[in-house]
Amino acid sequence: MSTRITIDPITRIEGHLRIECEVDGGHVTNAWSSGQMWRGIENIVKGRDAREVWLFTQRICGV
Amino acid sequence: MKMNDLDVFRELLGGVSRRDFLKYFTIMASSMGLPLGVGAKMAEAVTNPKRPSVIWLSAQECTGCTESLLRATHPTLDHLILDLISLDYHETLSTPAGHQAEEARQKAIRDNKGKFVLVVDGSIPVKDGGVYCMIGGKPVLQIVKETAPQAGAIIAIGSCASWGGVPSADPNPTGATPVHEILKGTPVVNIPGCPASPYNFLSTVLYYLTFKKLPELDDQGRPKFAYGRLIHENCERRPHFDAGRFAVAFGDDNHRQGYCLYKLGCKGPETYNNCPSILYGDVGSGSWPVGTGHPCFGCSEKGVGFTAPLHALANIKYLTPNTFFTEAYPGKPETTSNIKALGAATAGVVIGAAGAAMLVGLGKKGNDTEEENKEG
Repeated sequence: MSTRITIDPITRIEGHLRIECEVDGGHVTNAWSSGQMWRGIENIVKGRDAREVWLFTQRICGV
Repeated sequence: MKMNDLDVFRELLGGVSRRDFLKYFTIMASSMGLPLGVGAKMAEAVTNPKRPSVIWLSAQECTGCTESLLRATHPTLDHLILDLISLDYHETLSTPAGHQAEEARQKAIRDNKGKFVLVVDGSIPVKDGGVYCMIGGKPVLQIVKETAPQAGAIIAIGSCASWGGVPSADPNPTGATPVHEILKGTPVVNIPGCPASPYNFLSTVLYYLTFKKLPELDDQGRPKFAYGRLIHENCERRPHFDAGRFAVAFGDDNHRQGYCLYKLGCKGPETYNNCPSILYGDVGSGSWPVGTGHPCFGCSEKGVGFTAPLHALANIKYLTPNTFFTEAYPGKPETTSNIKALGAATAGVVIGAAGAAMLVGLGKKGNDTEEENKEG
Protein backbone atom coordinates (compact mmCIF):
# COMPACT_ATOMS: atom_id res chain seq x y z
CA MET A 1 0.00 0.00 0.00
CA SER A 2 1.71 3.19 -1.13
CA THR A 3 1.10 6.72 0.13
CA ARG A 4 1.21 9.80 -2.04
CA ILE A 5 2.94 12.87 -0.61
CA THR A 6 2.66 16.34 -2.12
CA ILE A 7 5.04 19.15 -1.22
CA ASP A 8 3.92 22.47 -2.65
CA PRO A 9 5.44 25.03 -2.49
CA ILE A 10 9.05 23.85 -2.37
CA THR A 11 10.79 26.72 -0.60
CA ARG A 12 14.37 28.04 -0.78
CA ILE A 13 14.43 27.77 -4.53
CA GLU A 14 13.65 30.28 -7.23
CA GLY A 15 10.20 29.86 -8.74
CA HIS A 16 7.19 27.79 -7.88
CA LEU A 17 7.91 24.09 -7.67
CA ARG A 18 5.66 21.20 -6.70
CA ILE A 19 6.90 17.72 -5.87
CA GLU A 20 4.67 14.70 -5.62
CA CYS A 21 6.00 11.32 -4.65
CA GLU A 22 4.73 7.86 -3.97
CA VAL A 23 6.14 6.21 -0.88
CA ASP A 24 5.88 2.49 -0.35
CA GLY A 25 7.29 0.92 2.80
CA GLY A 26 9.62 3.83 3.44
CA HIS A 27 10.91 3.89 -0.16
CA VAL A 28 10.05 6.43 -2.80
CA THR A 29 8.73 4.38 -5.67
CA ASN A 30 7.77 7.15 -8.05
CA ALA A 31 8.03 10.95 -8.13
CA TRP A 32 6.90 13.89 -10.22
CA SER A 33 8.11 17.47 -10.21
CA SER A 34 6.30 20.32 -11.88
CA GLY A 35 6.87 24.04 -12.32
CA GLN A 36 3.74 25.84 -11.17
CA MET A 37 4.34 29.13 -12.91
CA TRP A 38 4.48 29.96 -16.61
CA ARG A 39 5.01 33.36 -18.22
CA GLY A 40 5.32 32.31 -21.85
CA ILE A 41 8.64 34.06 -22.49
CA GLU A 42 9.09 31.78 -25.53
CA ASN A 43 5.96 33.33 -27.02
CA ILE A 44 6.93 36.85 -25.96
CA VAL A 45 10.27 36.78 -27.80
CA LYS A 46 8.90 35.18 -30.97
CA GLY A 47 9.31 37.55 -33.90
CA ARG A 48 10.98 40.25 -31.82
CA ASP A 49 14.05 42.23 -32.88
CA ALA A 50 16.96 39.92 -32.02
CA ARG A 51 18.81 42.79 -30.37
CA GLU A 52 16.28 43.14 -27.61
CA VAL A 53 15.54 39.47 -26.90
CA TRP A 54 18.19 39.40 -24.16
CA LEU A 55 16.07 41.80 -22.16
CA PHE A 56 13.46 39.09 -21.78
CA THR A 57 15.52 35.91 -21.63
CA GLN A 58 17.80 37.44 -19.02
CA ARG A 59 14.77 37.77 -16.78
CA ILE A 60 13.78 34.10 -16.90
CA CYS A 61 15.57 33.80 -13.58
CA GLY A 62 16.88 36.61 -11.41
CA VAL A 63 18.96 34.46 -9.08
CA MET B 1 15.92 56.29 22.29
CA LYS B 2 16.85 54.31 25.32
CA MET B 3 20.38 53.08 25.55
CA ASN B 4 19.49 49.57 26.76
CA ASP B 5 17.15 49.04 23.79
CA LEU B 6 20.07 49.68 21.56
CA ASP B 7 22.24 47.26 23.46
CA VAL B 8 19.71 44.50 22.88
CA PHE B 9 19.60 45.26 19.22
CA ARG B 10 23.33 45.62 18.96
CA GLU B 11 23.43 41.95 19.84
CA LEU B 12 20.77 41.18 17.27
CA LEU B 13 22.64 43.19 14.70
CA GLY B 14 25.76 41.18 15.22
CA GLY B 15 27.83 43.81 17.00
CA VAL B 16 26.93 46.88 14.96
CA SER B 17 27.73 50.06 16.84
CA ARG B 18 25.04 52.52 17.92
CA ARG B 19 26.70 55.10 15.74
CA ASP B 20 26.49 52.94 12.61
CA PHE B 21 22.94 51.98 13.40
CA LEU B 22 21.75 55.57 13.71
CA LYS B 23 23.85 56.60 10.73
CA TYR B 24 22.08 54.02 8.61
CA PHE B 25 18.65 55.41 9.45
CA THR B 26 19.80 58.97 8.98
CA ILE B 27 20.93 58.07 5.46
CA MET B 28 17.57 56.38 4.85
CA ALA B 29 15.69 59.46 6.08
CA SER B 30 17.73 61.82 3.96
CA SER B 31 17.25 59.67 0.86
CA MET B 32 13.52 60.24 1.34
CA GLY B 33 14.00 63.96 1.77
CA LEU B 34 12.97 63.82 5.45
CA PRO B 35 14.50 65.92 8.23
CA LEU B 36 17.55 64.49 10.00
CA GLY B 37 15.76 63.82 13.32
CA VAL B 38 13.49 61.33 11.57
CA GLY B 39 16.37 58.87 11.35
CA ALA B 40 16.32 58.42 15.12
CA LYS B 41 12.53 57.94 15.03
CA MET B 42 12.94 55.20 12.44
CA ALA B 43 15.58 53.49 14.52
CA GLU B 44 13.14 53.57 17.41
CA ALA B 45 10.34 52.12 15.30
CA VAL B 46 12.37 49.10 14.18
CA THR B 47 13.75 48.41 17.67
CA ASN B 48 10.22 47.95 18.98
CA PRO B 49 10.18 44.54 20.69
CA LYS B 50 7.19 43.43 18.61
CA ARG B 51 8.71 43.10 15.21
CA PRO B 52 6.39 44.18 12.41
CA SER B 53 5.13 41.27 10.34
CA VAL B 54 5.85 41.19 6.63
CA ILE B 55 4.20 38.67 4.35
CA TRP B 56 5.79 38.37 0.94
CA LEU B 57 3.80 36.71 -1.84
CA SER B 58 5.53 35.67 -5.02
CA ALA B 59 3.55 35.52 -8.23
CA GLN B 60 4.97 35.61 -11.77
CA GLU B 61 8.43 36.74 -10.82
CA CYS B 62 12.06 35.80 -11.36
CA THR B 63 13.21 36.39 -7.76
CA GLY B 64 15.40 39.23 -9.02
CA CYS B 65 13.74 41.69 -6.63
CA THR B 66 14.38 39.37 -3.68
CA GLU B 67 17.96 38.90 -4.78
CA SER B 68 18.66 42.60 -5.09
CA LEU B 69 17.08 43.15 -1.68
CA LEU B 70 19.26 40.47 -0.11
CA ARG B 71 22.34 41.90 -1.72
CA ALA B 72 21.79 45.38 -0.37
CA THR B 73 24.93 45.94 1.65
CA HIS B 74 24.22 48.98 3.73
CA PRO B 75 25.32 47.97 7.20
CA THR B 76 23.60 44.78 8.28
CA LEU B 77 20.67 44.96 5.96
CA ASP B 78 20.20 41.21 6.10
CA HIS B 79 19.72 41.61 9.83
CA LEU B 80 17.25 44.37 9.29
CA ILE B 81 15.13 42.16 7.08
CA LEU B 82 15.51 38.95 8.99
CA ASP B 83 15.83 40.17 12.60
CA LEU B 84 14.10 43.51 12.84
CA ILE B 85 11.20 42.86 10.54
CA SER B 86 9.42 39.59 11.09
CA LEU B 87 9.41 38.11 7.60
CA ASP B 88 6.74 35.53 8.25
CA TYR B 89 6.27 34.18 4.77
CA HIS B 90 8.57 34.26 1.78
CA GLU B 91 8.70 31.26 -0.53
CA THR B 92 12.35 31.64 -1.45
CA LEU B 93 13.57 32.30 2.08
CA SER B 94 11.39 30.27 4.43
CA THR B 95 12.64 27.10 6.06
CA PRO B 96 9.38 25.13 6.08
CA ALA B 97 7.98 23.87 2.79
CA GLY B 98 4.65 22.57 1.59
CA HIS B 99 1.73 22.69 4.01
CA GLN B 100 3.97 23.93 6.84
CA ALA B 101 4.84 27.05 4.84
CA GLU B 102 1.16 27.59 4.06
CA GLU B 103 0.30 27.24 7.75
CA ALA B 104 2.96 29.83 8.65
CA ARG B 105 1.30 32.24 6.23
CA GLN B 106 -2.18 31.61 7.62
CA LYS B 107 -0.94 32.06 11.18
CA ALA B 108 0.90 35.30 10.41
CA ILE B 109 -2.22 36.67 8.75
CA ARG B 110 -4.41 35.71 11.73
CA ASP B 111 -1.98 37.06 14.35
CA ASN B 112 -1.28 40.36 12.62
CA LYS B 113 -4.62 41.08 11.04
CA GLY B 114 -4.87 44.67 9.84
CA LYS B 115 -1.25 45.38 10.76
CA PHE B 116 1.06 43.35 8.56
CA VAL B 117 2.76 44.66 5.46
CA LEU B 118 1.85 42.62 2.39
CA VAL B 119 4.51 42.62 -0.29
CA VAL B 120 3.68 41.20 -3.69
CA ASP B 121 6.42 40.44 -6.14
CA GLY B 122 5.52 39.47 -9.71
CA SER B 123 2.47 39.97 -11.87
CA ILE B 124 -0.78 38.08 -11.39
CA PRO B 125 -1.93 35.91 -14.31
CA VAL B 126 -5.69 36.11 -14.77
CA LYS B 127 -6.10 34.13 -17.99
CA ASP B 128 -7.73 30.68 -17.78
CA GLY B 129 -8.73 31.15 -14.14
CA GLY B 130 -5.22 31.99 -13.02
CA VAL B 131 -3.70 28.53 -13.66
CA TYR B 132 -0.40 30.03 -14.82
CA CYS B 133 0.77 30.57 -11.26
CA MET B 134 -0.30 28.14 -8.54
CA ILE B 135 0.91 27.92 -4.95
CA GLY B 136 -0.14 24.95 -2.86
CA GLY B 137 -2.71 24.07 -5.52
CA LYS B 138 -4.36 27.51 -5.38
CA PRO B 139 -4.13 30.24 -8.03
CA VAL B 140 -2.01 33.13 -6.75
CA LEU B 141 -4.83 35.37 -7.97
CA GLN B 142 -7.06 33.89 -5.28
CA ILE B 143 -4.35 34.06 -2.60
CA VAL B 144 -3.68 37.75 -3.25
CA LYS B 145 -7.38 38.56 -3.22
CA GLU B 146 -7.86 36.71 0.08
CA THR B 147 -4.79 38.18 1.79
CA ALA B 148 -5.02 41.83 0.72
CA PRO B 149 -8.14 42.88 2.69
CA GLN B 150 -6.42 41.79 5.92
CA ALA B 151 -3.17 43.72 5.35
CA GLY B 152 -2.25 47.07 6.90
CA ALA B 153 -0.34 48.18 3.83
CA ILE B 154 0.25 46.67 0.41
CA ILE B 155 3.46 47.11 -1.54
CA ALA B 156 3.94 45.89 -5.10
CA ILE B 157 7.67 45.44 -5.62
CA GLY B 158 9.23 45.36 -9.08
CA SER B 159 7.90 46.26 -12.49
CA CYS B 160 5.92 43.01 -12.87
CA ALA B 161 3.84 43.67 -9.76
CA SER B 162 3.66 47.43 -10.41
CA TRP B 163 2.53 47.50 -14.04
CA GLY B 164 2.96 44.03 -15.54
CA GLY B 165 6.65 44.05 -16.50
CA VAL B 166 8.13 41.20 -18.55
CA PRO B 167 5.21 38.71 -18.34
CA SER B 168 2.80 41.36 -19.62
CA ALA B 169 4.96 42.11 -22.70
CA ASP B 170 3.19 41.66 -26.02
CA PRO B 171 1.33 39.29 -26.56
CA ASN B 172 0.94 38.83 -22.76
CA PRO B 173 0.40 35.05 -23.03
CA THR B 174 -0.92 34.57 -19.49
CA GLY B 175 -2.97 37.73 -18.94
CA ALA B 176 -0.32 39.04 -16.53
CA THR B 177 -1.90 41.86 -14.52
CA PRO B 178 -0.41 44.32 -12.01
CA VAL B 179 -1.43 44.03 -8.37
CA HIS B 180 -3.26 47.36 -8.16
CA GLU B 181 -5.58 46.27 -10.99
CA ILE B 182 -6.42 43.06 -9.15
CA LEU B 183 -7.12 45.03 -5.97
CA LYS B 184 -9.03 47.94 -7.45
CA GLY B 185 -10.02 50.45 -4.78
CA THR B 186 -7.31 49.39 -2.30
CA PRO B 187 -4.25 51.62 -1.99
CA VAL B 188 -1.14 49.86 -3.34
CA VAL B 189 2.34 51.34 -3.28
CA ASN B 190 4.20 50.58 -6.49
CA ILE B 191 7.99 50.25 -6.38
CA PRO B 192 8.75 49.56 -10.05
CA GLY B 193 12.18 48.64 -11.38
CA CYS B 194 13.67 45.49 -12.87
CA PRO B 195 14.84 44.77 -10.26
CA ALA B 196 13.43 47.44 -8.00
CA SER B 197 15.99 49.40 -6.00
CA PRO B 198 16.07 47.74 -2.58
CA TYR B 199 16.44 51.14 -0.93
CA ASN B 200 13.25 52.46 -2.48
CA PHE B 201 11.49 49.44 -1.00
CA LEU B 202 13.14 49.57 2.42
CA SER B 203 12.60 53.32 2.70
CA THR B 204 8.90 52.80 2.05
CA VAL B 205 8.65 50.02 4.65
CA LEU B 206 10.52 52.14 7.22
CA TYR B 207 8.36 55.13 6.48
CA TYR B 208 5.24 53.07 7.07
CA LEU B 209 6.61 51.57 10.29
CA THR B 210 7.62 54.98 11.62
CA PHE B 211 4.63 57.12 10.67
CA LYS B 212 1.95 54.38 10.35
CA LYS B 213 0.93 55.75 6.99
CA LEU B 214 2.15 55.48 3.41
CA PRO B 215 4.58 58.00 1.93
CA GLU B 216 3.30 60.54 -0.58
CA LEU B 217 2.57 58.81 -3.89
CA ASP B 218 2.34 60.03 -7.47
CA ASP B 219 -0.53 59.27 -9.87
CA GLN B 220 0.92 55.82 -10.55
CA GLY B 221 1.18 54.91 -6.88
CA ARG B 222 4.96 55.39 -6.73
CA PRO B 223 6.58 57.09 -3.72
CA LYS B 224 7.47 60.63 -4.76
CA PHE B 225 10.75 60.58 -2.85
CA ALA B 226 12.08 57.94 -5.24
CA TYR B 227 10.22 58.45 -8.52
CA GLY B 228 9.75 62.21 -8.51
CA ARG B 229 12.43 63.01 -11.07
CA LEU B 230 13.33 61.72 -14.51
CA ILE B 231 16.57 59.76 -14.78
CA HIS B 232 17.61 62.33 -17.37
CA GLU B 233 17.46 65.11 -14.80
CA ASN B 234 20.17 63.75 -12.54
CA CYS B 235 22.15 61.67 -15.01
CA GLU B 236 25.90 62.04 -14.73
CA ARG B 237 26.07 62.21 -18.55
CA ARG B 238 23.53 65.02 -18.76
CA PRO B 239 26.14 67.71 -19.50
CA HIS B 240 27.05 65.77 -22.66
CA PHE B 241 23.40 65.81 -23.74
CA ASP B 242 23.16 69.53 -23.15
CA ALA B 243 26.38 70.12 -25.06
CA GLY B 244 25.28 67.87 -27.94
CA ARG B 245 27.95 65.21 -27.43
CA PHE B 246 26.50 61.78 -28.24
CA ALA B 247 27.72 58.22 -28.69
CA VAL B 248 26.23 56.99 -31.98
CA ALA B 249 27.43 53.38 -31.95
CA PHE B 250 28.54 51.04 -29.21
CA GLY B 251 32.32 51.21 -28.96
CA ASP B 252 32.78 54.34 -31.09
CA ASP B 253 35.11 57.11 -29.92
CA ASN B 254 32.28 59.08 -28.34
CA HIS B 255 31.04 56.01 -26.48
CA ARG B 256 34.53 55.45 -25.13
CA GLN B 257 34.63 59.07 -24.01
CA GLY B 258 31.54 58.48 -21.91
CA TYR B 259 29.24 60.74 -23.94
CA CYS B 260 25.46 60.82 -23.74
CA LEU B 261 23.69 57.59 -24.78
CA TYR B 262 20.49 59.24 -26.02
CA LYS B 263 21.13 58.30 -29.64
CA LEU B 264 21.67 54.66 -28.70
CA GLY B 265 18.11 54.65 -27.37
CA CYS B 266 18.56 55.73 -23.76
CA LYS B 267 15.11 56.03 -22.14
CA GLY B 268 16.34 58.25 -19.29
CA PRO B 269 14.37 61.22 -20.67
CA GLU B 270 11.06 59.40 -20.13
CA THR B 271 11.76 57.20 -17.10
CA TYR B 272 11.13 58.27 -13.53
CA ASN B 273 13.55 56.74 -11.04
CA ASN B 274 16.42 57.65 -8.75
CA CYS B 275 19.05 55.25 -10.19
CA PRO B 276 21.59 58.01 -10.99
CA SER B 277 21.53 59.15 -7.36
CA ILE B 278 21.21 55.84 -5.47
CA LEU B 279 22.97 53.48 -7.92
CA TYR B 280 22.95 49.70 -7.52
CA GLY B 281 24.83 47.20 -5.45
CA ASP B 282 26.71 49.73 -3.27
CA VAL B 283 29.96 49.26 -5.15
CA GLY B 284 30.75 52.86 -5.90
CA SER B 285 30.23 55.34 -8.69
CA GLY B 286 29.01 54.29 -12.10
CA SER B 287 27.26 51.17 -10.84
CA TRP B 288 24.07 51.60 -12.84
CA PRO B 289 23.27 50.92 -16.52
CA VAL B 290 24.21 54.34 -17.92
CA GLY B 291 27.31 54.39 -15.73
CA THR B 292 28.51 51.17 -17.36
CA GLY B 293 27.90 52.53 -20.85
CA HIS B 294 24.53 50.99 -21.67
CA PRO B 295 21.49 53.13 -22.33
CA CYS B 296 18.70 53.07 -19.77
CA PHE B 297 15.87 50.99 -21.25
CA GLY B 298 13.21 52.29 -18.92
CA CYS B 299 12.77 49.09 -16.91
CA SER B 300 10.69 50.86 -14.28
CA GLU B 301 8.45 52.89 -16.57
CA LYS B 302 5.12 51.59 -17.81
CA GLY B 303 4.85 51.85 -21.59
CA VAL B 304 8.64 52.13 -21.96
CA GLY B 305 10.43 49.12 -20.45
CA PHE B 306 9.79 45.87 -22.38
CA THR B 307 7.39 47.86 -24.57
CA ALA B 308 9.23 50.53 -26.54
CA PRO B 309 11.87 49.20 -28.98
CA LEU B 310 15.20 49.01 -27.17
CA HIS B 311 17.26 51.17 -29.52
CA ALA B 312 14.58 53.64 -30.62
CA LEU B 313 14.91 57.24 -29.46
CA ALA B 314 13.15 58.21 -26.25
CA ASN B 315 10.39 60.76 -26.13
CA ILE B 316 11.81 63.68 -24.23
CA LYS B 317 9.11 64.35 -21.65
CA TYR B 318 10.23 67.79 -20.63
CA LEU B 319 13.42 69.68 -20.29
CA THR B 320 14.37 70.55 -16.80
CA PRO B 321 17.81 71.36 -15.57
CA ASN B 322 19.86 69.01 -13.45
CA THR B 323 19.48 69.72 -9.76
CA PHE B 324 22.90 71.40 -9.74
CA PHE B 325 22.56 73.04 -13.14
CA THR B 326 23.28 76.74 -13.21
CA GLU B 327 20.70 79.05 -14.71
CA ALA B 328 21.01 79.67 -18.44
CA TYR B 329 19.90 83.29 -18.01
CA PRO B 330 20.88 84.19 -14.48
CA GLY B 331 18.91 87.04 -13.01
CA LYS B 332 16.86 87.65 -16.14
CA PRO B 333 13.36 88.70 -15.03
CA GLU B 334 10.24 86.86 -16.26
CA THR B 335 12.14 83.78 -17.32
CA THR B 336 10.28 80.64 -16.31
CA SER B 337 12.28 77.63 -15.26
CA ASN B 338 11.19 75.80 -18.42
CA ILE B 339 12.58 78.48 -20.67
CA LYS B 340 15.81 78.52 -18.71
CA ALA B 341 16.18 74.82 -19.23
CA LEU B 342 15.15 75.00 -22.85
CA GLY B 343 17.98 77.39 -23.59
CA ALA B 344 20.47 75.04 -22.04
CA ALA B 345 19.19 71.94 -23.75
CA THR B 346 18.41 73.24 -27.22
CA ALA B 347 21.74 72.19 -28.66
CA GLY B 348 21.15 68.64 -27.50
CA VAL B 349 17.69 68.45 -28.99
CA VAL B 350 18.65 69.85 -32.37
CA ILE B 351 21.50 67.44 -32.79
CA GLY B 352 19.46 64.61 -31.30
CA ALA B 353 16.72 65.14 -33.87
CA ALA B 354 19.14 64.51 -36.71
CA GLY B 355 19.77 61.03 -35.40
CA ALA B 356 16.09 60.34 -34.93
CA ALA B 357 15.30 59.35 -38.49
CA MET B 358 18.07 56.80 -38.40
CA LEU B 359 16.92 55.06 -35.24
CA VAL B 360 13.15 55.33 -35.10
CA GLY B 361 11.35 52.20 -36.20
CA LEU B 362 13.90 49.66 -35.06
CA GLY B 363 12.34 46.63 -33.47
CA LYS B 364 9.31 44.65 -34.48
CA LYS B 365 6.78 46.42 -32.33
CA GLY B 366 6.48 49.66 -34.29
CA ASN B 367 6.19 52.99 -32.58
CA ASP B 368 5.38 53.81 -28.99
CA THR B 369 1.97 55.29 -29.63
CA GLU B 370 0.71 52.09 -31.18
CA GLU B 371 1.87 50.15 -28.15
CA GLU B 372 0.24 52.49 -25.68
CA ASN B 373 -3.07 52.32 -27.52
CA LYS B 374 -2.99 48.56 -27.55
CA GLU B 375 -2.35 48.46 -23.82
CA GLY B 376 -5.08 50.92 -23.00
